[in-house]
Amino acid sequence: MRPAGLASFGLIMGLTLAAAPAIAAPFSCPRKGGDFTFGQEANVNSLDMMTSSSISTRNAALNIFETLVTRDENYNVIADLADSVTEAPDHLSYTFKLRPGATFHNGKPLTSADVVASYDRYRRVGLARNILAKVDGWEAPDAATFVIRMKEVQPIFLELLSSFLAPPVIVPAEFKDDSPQQLHAVGTGPWQLAEFMPGSHVRLRRFEGYVPNRNFENRNGFGGYKQACFDTVTFRIVPEPGARVAGLRTGELQGVEDIPTKSVAELKGDKNITLVPMQNWWMQFAWPNLSVPPTDNLAFRKAVQAALDMDEIMDAATDGNYRLNVGLQYPNQPAYTDVGKETYNQHDAALAKKYLMEAGYKGAPVVLLTNKDYGSMYNAALVMAEQLKAVGVNAQLKVVDWPTSTQMGTLGGSDFNYFFTGVGSEIALGSLGIIQDVLAPNNMFHPKDGKDDPGLIAAYADMTQKFSPAERQAGWVRAQKIILEQAYALPFGALTKMQGVRANVQGFTPFRIPRPSNVWFAN
Amino acid sequence: MARIALRRLASAIPVLLIVSLITFGMMRLIPGDPSAVIGGISATQEQLAQIRHELGLDQPMYIQLLKWYAGVLHGDFGRSLLMGQPVMQVTMQRLPVTLALSAYALVLTLLLGLVGGIFAALRQNSWVDQAAMMFSMFGISVPSFFLGLLMIFFFAVYLGWLPTGGYIPLWQDPWGWLRTSTMPAISLALLQVGLLARITRSTMLEVLRQDYIRTARAKGLTRRQVVAKHALANALIPITTVIGIVISLLISGSVVIETLFSLPGIGQLLTQAVLNRDYPMVQGGLLLVTAFLVFVNIVVDVCYALLDPRVRYESH
Repeated sequence: MRPAGLASFGLIMGLTLAAAPAIAAPFSCPRKGGDFTFGQEANVNSLDMMTSSSISTRNAALNIFETLVTRDENYNVIADLADSVTEAPDHLSYTFKLRPGATFHNGKPLTSADVVASYDRYRRVGLARNILAKVDGWEAPDAATFVIRMKEVQPIFLELLSSFLAPPVIVPAEFKDDSPQQLHAVGTGPWQLAEFMPGSHVRLRRFEGYVPNRNFENRNGFGGYKQACFDTVTFRIVPEPGARVAGLRTGELQGVEDIPTKSVAELKGDKNITLVPMQNWWMQFAWPNLSVPPTDNLAFRKAVQAALDMDEIMDAATDGNYRLNVGLQYPNQPAYTDVGKETYNQHDAALAKKYLMEAGYKGAPVVLLTNKDYGSMYNAALVMAEQLKAVGVNAQLKVVDWPTSTQMGTLGGSDFNYFFTGVGSEIALGSLGIIQDVLAPNNMFHPKDGKDDPGLIAAYADMTQKFSPAERQAGWVRAQKIILEQAYALPFGALTKMQGVRANVQGFTPFRIPRPSNVWFAN
Repeated sequence: MARIALRRLASAIPVLLIVSLITFGMMRLIPGDPSAVIGGISATQEQLAQIRHELGLDQPMYIQLLKWYAGVLHGDFGRSLLMGQPVMQVTMQRLPVTLALSAYALVLTLLLGLVGGIFAALRQNSWVDQAAMMFSMFGISVPSFFLGLLMIFFFAVYLGWLPTGGYIPLWQDPWGWLRTSTMPAISLALLQVGLLARITRSTMLEVLRQDYIRTARAKGLTRRQVVAKHALANALIPITTVIGIVISLLISGSVVIETLFSLPGIGQLLTQAVLNRDYPMVQGGLLLVTAFLVFVNIVVDVCYALLDPRVRYESH
């Protein structure tokens, strides 16, 4: 046996760290106490992290629950509730040693029986239970050890297992039969549930019995050494942006998300407020419908690619809160590559017209399917339609609500040519997260005649089956080149999410969830 | 009186049946289903199909409808697809928030609308009349959402008197509830205040010109007696009908206000349920709200009969 993944995975730093005790003094709260109220836009319907992929649930629930493995600040895999992870030499089993002393919020010590029960529930109701498709089974040889046995080798298994979209969180064994969306909110995290009023708020309080992960010295991504400095944390649902800004200014809210761009200048001048921009929050996309004319024609899709001015589109979509970004990964990510950059942000009308002639385009309607629930998607479609009209494309907007848009985009059909959406968390998970959006079966990708691109299939095979990180990255580079050259996706750019906290809030840094751990009030 | 109430109750049954059928049909007709919301944008077709199967959405529509009706007859309105909780339980958690807010707004409406309308009529063409009508025009013209935002910035941000939003249950902390509910209640009430003030004024003016008022005055009754005993009692008959409508408008108008002030009421719940295609929540929640509104209208009808003997006579 050897330590998990280690050199072969390319995601190993966290696991190596997890195996060695921390050297420096771990984080200690400079000040304890107070209630940190965070205003978030979307309602929390349920705290069942296994069955929900919604961001609003994640915001609160991932402070309550923990997983065996998770992602660090740069989205690399790290051990969390596992003290160590060891992969068998034949890659057919993974052994997780549990964090010593960890207890649940109900006072019960964590044992491997709880992990077994949690995984049993996840296999039954977990939203992303397909990550266990190649798992043969699991067992608990002793109270502190959990072993997963594989049916076949899967080099990316730990990457899948550490996804934070709808992860297999560990709960007490007695809750293994809880129905979907009805999981008892009892975890091992630094915060325990105090009150949950759907539509109003989720209040958490410090879990005094929390045993942090001593393999780290500080909070790190979704894991690390976490400490609850506040007495309580309240996630208050404040859907109206103006009310969120007002709450931050009065001090009723100590932190908020999704500050509208028009309020940013005003808040910048307020010495009581610190703005915390979260760059690379998500990417704006339009997915072509490859099954219907004229978007089934490569020359036509290239014409569209050539016509677009991404600066104009992103400016309108985000009120200027964006960064142009080649490709399908954020620039700070290990898998980032600018291959295919020649296809991006061309705004070359002459070239677009040349491709249109080549495609034999005769003015057929090109339907851009968008929605008004997400203003950024609507605005992006609006500007794209005008840019296409400028080169002679008969672009027409089809505006519906978000669920309708998703359903139409999902079903494919002949009702649209481009489906407007955004992708955030999947990209943060790395190249594997996003490539699945351009491979069938997938709810957005509808290849012509249902046939996947063989080049993409081969690239995907390398990305998922090769052990060497370099070979896997080479697979991704090939994949992105194909995606952009074949115009299978139109990535517009990356949107910045603007968060803000009161100036006396210390230690709050932007991440994919608001992290109240290791954050404190200065006074 | 009992006959009137029973007759109204009987007529409520087809109303509830039609509302439930329309809701069921509309929710199925509009595209989008909850599996897309639950599964998220990256769920595969296979995952979406699995979610649909687990939710019973792959069954024929008439089976889904019959199963739902069978449940309703047993008091089971189903479970919210997104929250996993019984619809009845969720509705009963949220309805009091909206009802308390609507009741507060109704009190404001009655106080300002009725009193304003009566004084405007009694002092017709005076500055009181002009001021009351200007105020009512303001209430009718300014959108409640905009008024709410203005109040947030003035009373919460600038003066710091009231919180920007949030909710504290009345039974937990009455003072806290009053502080969090005052701006929403004013925003919600102002439109109805304007409406009621204008209707009260015109009704009162009409009544004050009647022969029996002149007779009462000729008999030497004081102005207060004439207004309170004769004019107001008669003017209240049409006004009561309007109050019934105002209650419905307050409850339906709470959707916007609940969103603005972050109140976990039934309006916000049903809006989210529609957006998320949470079929049982929309069907059950709307049916329960409709039942409540039907009940309010029955009460109004009974009050109408109490106030106007002609209605009691006609019912016999």
